[in-house]
Amino acid sequence: MIELQDVSKKYPTGQIALYNVNLKLNKGEMAFLTGISGAGKSTLLKLIALLDRPTAGKVLIDNFDISQLKQNQVANYRRSIGVIFQDHHLLSDRTIFDNVALPLMISGMRYNDIERRVHAALDKVNLLVKEKDYPMMLSAGEKQRVGIARAVVNKPSIILADEPTGNLDPVLAADIMQTFLQFNDLGATILIASHDMQLVERMGKRIIALQKVKSR
Amino acid sequence: MSKVKKQATSPLRSRLSQHNQAFHQSLNQLWQHSLSTWITLAAIAIALSLPAGLYILLGNLKTLTDDKREVPTISVYINQNITAQQAQDRAELLSELNDIENVKLIKREDGLKHMKQVAGVQDIIDTVGGNPLPHVLVVTPRMSLFGDPGVDLDGLAQRLKSYPEVDSVQMDIEWVQRLRAIMQIAERVVLVVAILLALTVLLVVGNTIRLNIENRKEEIEVTQLVGATTGYIRRPFLYGGFWYGFFGGILSLVIVHVSLLFLIPPVDKLAVLYGSQYNITGLGVWVTVIILVFSSLLGLAGAWLAVAQHLRKQFAMIDV
Repeated sequence: MIELQDVSKKYPTGQIALYNVNLKLNKGEMAFLTGISGAGKSTLLKLIALLDRPTAGKVLIDNFDISQLKQNQVANYRRSIGVIFQDHHLLSDRTIFDNVALPLMISGMRYNDIERRVHAALDKVNLLVKEKDYPMMLSAGEKQRVGIARAVVNKPSIILADEPTGNLDPVLAADIMQTFLQFNDLGATILIASHDMQLVERMGKRIIALQKVKSR
Repeated sequence: MSKVKKQATSPLRSRLSQHNQAFHQSLNQLWQHSLSTWITLAAIAIALSLPAGLYILLGNLKTLTDDKREVPTISVYINQNITAQQAQDRAELLSELNDIENVKLIKREDGLKHMKQVAGVQDIIDTVGGNPLPHVLVVTPRMSLFGDPGVDLDGLAQRLKSYPEVDSVQMDIEWVQRLRAIMQIAERVVLVVAILLALTVLLVVGNTIRLNIENRKEEIEVTQLVGATTGYIRRPFLYGGFWYGFFGGILSLVIVHVSLLFLIPPVDKLAVLYGSQYNITGLGVWVTVIILVFSSLLGLAGAWLAVAQHLRKQFAMIDV
């Protein structure tokens, strides 16, 4: 379960990204985070992924305040969730297999297990045939699917996606969303930030709308 | 959070697997950038071979002076008007003293005979006419080691000089003492040079690793995003630093030994000219091991500093 209690985020520049946000996402729930650009969607995901910390309030995962985690526990926590970034964050000098295998290699898993899991993850996103290719050889949609495979390869209970269909055409975007639905059916809690209201409404899932904080 | 606990099972296997990855990754990195690797290794090797070479030089000079350790002698020159018998009597009296091990008389005739064997001296003796040499008593003090603090060599020399038969006294060990004093200074110089060059190795490795980090910034950021610990990020760079130090150390040993091979023939030739047989001694097994361990540790330390600086900077900027 993901819970945000009175969460605010103010950057050192004085810009307020989030103000008093309260949110509860049940285990196995899939929801969309919408709002105009600058509403704080990415910031909120970063706070949940512990890529940043709130200036006020608490972020609870399974009723545990993640701000209590120490530096090396933060790394463990990040490995326990799957994050999909809009700009993929793939390593250009590594094959698709190696990119997807990265979280497992960090976990210190044996190569046989890594191979089995990576193949399963790539199979889920229909990219098994491209495992030996490099990111530059893939289309934007394929890169995004590699990002998804990497996010789910560790079998996380929580998946966070920041504008996963941002640069994709409607057909590819729908395809990616179907992939998320499949993971949700397997029990993962999924929170997706998107500004594409049409696509979000078509999915028939809970929509959480963020409003841009007016400067104070 | 249950997932976190599940992954924490078998930590030893995970750690070994991560070390295995870092080990191979670091060697691959060196291999992939072979030109820059060789340049760095050459810089490290040269920096290490200089103090190692000076160490060998000092070691060999020490061996030369240590050869004199067992025979510190005092030459006592007897007055010209003293007969051989009187000189012999004095020698016997001196050999009974507690602080004298033995006394050897070299009669003036024997001295002349010996001198005549030295090339070029014959003409000088003929010019002077007669035998200008005095009888000489070669006194060996009673001491186990050269520089034995229990023996007052200067006091003994003064006492010997006070005898009426004695013209002058010369300590044959003075040059050794002077050489030793010079070598003590040289040892300090070598130490200072070694420290400075060790710092150079530290900086060279640190800078190389810093550049590696810059080249792999994207990779570091991505691995952090997917849950890499600082240990995981640091590990391949530490291995890299270790390899730079280790291989740099090996290369420095190669340089030193090739230089020695280059020096052996002229040194042999010089030794023959002095009528002796002198063999240059190398570094020995222990010093070789120490150099390799030291250079590897230097590489490790340089890498550690570079990664620590990067992580500190990064945490200050983006991390939580």
